[in-house]
Amino acid sequence: MAPCIQATNVSLTFRPKNREPVTALREFSIEVATGEFVSIVGPSGCGKSTFLNILLGLLKPDAGETRLNGTQIAGPGQERAMVFQEFGLLPWRTVLANVELGLELKGVAVAARRSRAMELIQMTGLAGFETHYPHELSGGMKQRVGLARALATDPQVLLMDEPFAALDAQTRDLMQAELLQVWDRTKKTVIFVTHSIEEAAYLSDRVLVTSARPGRIKQIIKVQLPRPRDYEMRLSAKFNEIKAEIWNALKEELLGRGAGNGT
Amino acid sequence: MALKETISEYRRPLLGVASVVGLTLVWEIAYTYFIPLDPFFFTKPSLIGVAVKDQTLSGELWKDLAISSKAFLWGFSLAVIVGIPIGVFMGWRRRAEYVLDPFLTALYASPLVALAPLFIIIFGVGLTGKVALIFLLAVFPFIFNVFAGVKCTDRLLVNVVRAFGGKEKDIYFKVILPSILPYIVAGARIAIGRGIVGILVAEFYGASEGIGFAISRFGDTYRLPEMFAAILLLMIMAVIFTEGLRKLETILAPWKIGQEAR
Repeated sequence: MAPCIQATNVSLTFRPKNREPVTALREFSIEVATGEFVSIVGPSGCGKSTFLNILLGLLKPDAGETRLNGTQIAGPGQERAMVFQEFGLLPWRTVLANVELGLELKGVAVAARRSRAMELIQMTGLAGFETHYPHELSGGMKQRVGLARALATDPQVLLMDEPFAALDAQTRDLMQAELLQVWDRTKKTVIFVTHSIEEAAYLSDRVLVTSARPGRIKQIIKVQLPRPRDYEMRLSAKFNEIKAEIWNALKEELLGRGAGNGT
Repeated sequence: MALKETISEYRRPLLGVASVVGLTLVWEIAYTYFIPLDPFFFTKPSLIGVAVKDQTLSGELWKDLAISSKAFLWGFSLAVIVGIPIGVFMGWRRRAEYVLDPFLTALYASPLVALAPLFIIIFGVGLTGKVALIFLLAVFPFIFNVFAGVKCTDRLLVNVVRAFGGKEKDIYFKVILPSILPYIVAGARIAIGRGIVGILVAEFYGASEGIGFAISRFGDTYRLPEMFAAILLLMIMAVIFTEGLRKLETILAPWKIGQEAR
């Protein structure tokens, strides 16, 4: 079967005015199968977010190619949707109107997009908050809106850029569990960027560890834990072995370069 | 206890009214009993009150106010219609900014009332001349506030709309326009003040009717209470416009209310 997402030798160098060019990605290649949950873990500034923005179609790589189901990615499209770290909710729209955004831009009729949005509001635990504005919501609720909005257009691929990084630890655990439930029901292909080894191990089928900038795949770790996964699984010996494996791959990169900033 | 609570709840309007009433009383009493200024040059609230009553009952001032308001609303509306698109265009298109900026900055910084005689030569003493001057004074706050607002548009939100398939048109209407609304309102507050200056200058220079003409006519004939009555009415008009704007903002931008309260 053709991979759902295929990136081959993707390179991108940023050339800001009056500053040194920064090579974010150099010959970055991955393949992700349909329905797979893949995490990308790497040091800060290794181009993980850049890579997601290329897959999303907001950035164009200098070299290399990205394909979705064998077709070249040329720009944003309805088959892909992103969940943003800083939520990216429109502050002047209610929860309902934010969830409807993608459908509205796609030209879906009002009644149809309303019922679809309500479906996702139910699924993501936002029922009762339809008429709230983003500033009235907690971080966890905001990201539920972000997830519902991304799922509303029924994309094939869900790109998640450190979606839970801005949340407190408990909310984060809760959101991870809920994401797994939603994933189980919707069967999306997920590419999930994170800094958290634990999060990557808990959620993913495979964890891709990248090198420091310019980012390349350093090691691929298969997470052979049964699904559905529950919180108790995190206490098992097997889970800790996987975490140790990811950590070992990451360690040299972190120690070798020191902590950078920004991604 | 209940009275105390009521007082603390309405502290703001109570104190506001008290300060206005207090100042009026001080003025009245001081003028009547302590500082005998020449009534030829100065007046007091009770006389202004009588003048307001006479002038409004006879309908004279209302007529003047209606004439000036008409010019104001025309000039102000044109400023909104022209100013907002120019501001958006300048803010979003770098090249437009570079081309337009020198002219607009020079015009904004200049005392444009100096052009009043020219406008009256070109457009005459009627409505058109006033509208032109009001427009010219009121348009710049819109252009520059909207420009600043567009520059502050959150890039993340622009990217979000792009990522979900939004076109250039969607970015204008679904991101830029809502995010500059507070800037438009701030610009409108300044524009109201400048627009009123525009009315007065136009009507001082050359007009046969309107509130500015009334003020200058009463002043020329030393009818101070009547002159102050006209000024008072003008002030009330300005306050009504400004307050109306605040109300409009809460209706148009309900998401702002909670944000400001935090």
